[in-house]
Amino acid sequence: MSLVSKNPDPSQATSREVTIANEAGLHARPASVFVRMSCQFDCEIWVCCNDDKVNGKSIIGLLTLAASKGTRVVIEAEGSDAQDAVEKLAVLVEKQFKID
Amino acid sequence: MKSAKVTVERFYMETASDIGLRLTAGAGGLKRMIREPTVNRPGLALTGFTKYFASNRVQVLGAAEATYLKALTIEQRALRYSELFDYRIPCFVFSRNLKPDPQFIKAAESSDIPVFRCPLITMNFINRATLAMDDLFAPSGKEQGSMVDILGIGVLIKGESGIGKSECVLALVERGYSLVADDVTQVKLLDGREIIGTSPDITRNHMEVRGIGIINVAAMFGVKSIRTEKRVNLVVSLTDWDGVANINRLGMEEETIDILGVPVPHITIPVRPGRDIARLVEVAAFHTKLQLAGHNAARELDERLKARMRPPTD
Repeated sequence: MSLVSKNPDPSQATSREVTIANEAGLHARPASVFVRMSCQFDCEIWVCCNDDKVNGKSIIGLLTLAASKGTRVVIEAEGSDAQDAVEKLAVLVEKQFKID
Repeated sequence: MKSAKVTVERFYMETASDIGLRLTAGAGGLKRMIREPTVNRPGLALTGFTKYFASNRVQVLGAAEATYLKALTIEQRALRYSELFDYRIPCFVFSRNLKPDPQFIKAAESSDIPVFRCPLITMNFINRATLAMDDLFAPSGKEQGSMVDILGIGVLIKGESGIGKSECVLALVERGYSLVADDVTQVKLLDGREIIGTSPDITRNHMEVRGIGIINVAAMFGVKSIRTEKRVNLVVSLTDWDGVANINRLGMEEETIDILGVPVPHITIPVRPGRDIARLVEVAAFHTKLQLAGHNAARELDERLKARMRPPTD
């Protein structure tokens, strides 16, 4: 598993807006679930909320967003597996951070 | 970079403990923007001379203004207030706990301009309000990276996630240096030249260590291991060993990186298993400290070499 993306490819950048759906918002546990998944991808991942943009592979970063239920966040990715990453992470947020 | 927009409400809230403003009238205007981050004494405007009136600023009325207003008749006051309150003024502050007269309050309510009372004497209010506004209006942003204070040198450590920033920071904290921020560092530009780094409120004193989880640095290493804010003196970028072709081998030229439009000294350290990154960052900080004191090892060595090679003159 590589945590460092080697070649972010601008042509393979994508993003998707999702709404935080779980009751307690993006607190520590959901953030760790999110990061566990995001770290499996090679691409760079960013989560944007209001004017903030943080590293999607950083728990501390995600926590600084303090995104409560109903907050709209944009998941951005850039790199070879960006499409797949945004797809899976968006589903994860929508499914309230429950992995099946 | 965000250009700061400050409402009267924010100024009121954030300076509450320091300046102690109390809202007396015009609460409807709290969302007004302060368009110029300074304070003005509207003495001349009160006398009716408004040709050059800095109406965009916070207006402070002290003993002089209050005494003058008292000397006016009710009709005169009504006239002056109607002129004054036509301007788009952010807010009024009465210093020395002076009480605005009922006409003033009425005019403020009808035009929705907030009026505050403040216990400080005018000069102290002006000093503190100016400093507070400097801070509130400072351009700010977020940098991806952790920040540590190494013997007075603020070092921002950048690098992609997983390269070992947090481990490096942890090792530095263990050596007795202080954590400023983990992973996300908030920066603001003070005075147009100093970059100040701090941690987001929520995650202050905390960091994440892969494999262990979130730790409270202050609880674990004591109060000396944390620092709320620090000027950024050096940026260290950790990169993959293979990723850097043109690495600095001499350290004679100073490379910089741009933060909020200000150049900050920058070095790149290639990472490879077995390299003690924390030790390297520590040395880089000492190096910066020496340079700030006027020493440059590479240049001094070069001068010595050149002197040795110079043909003897006789």
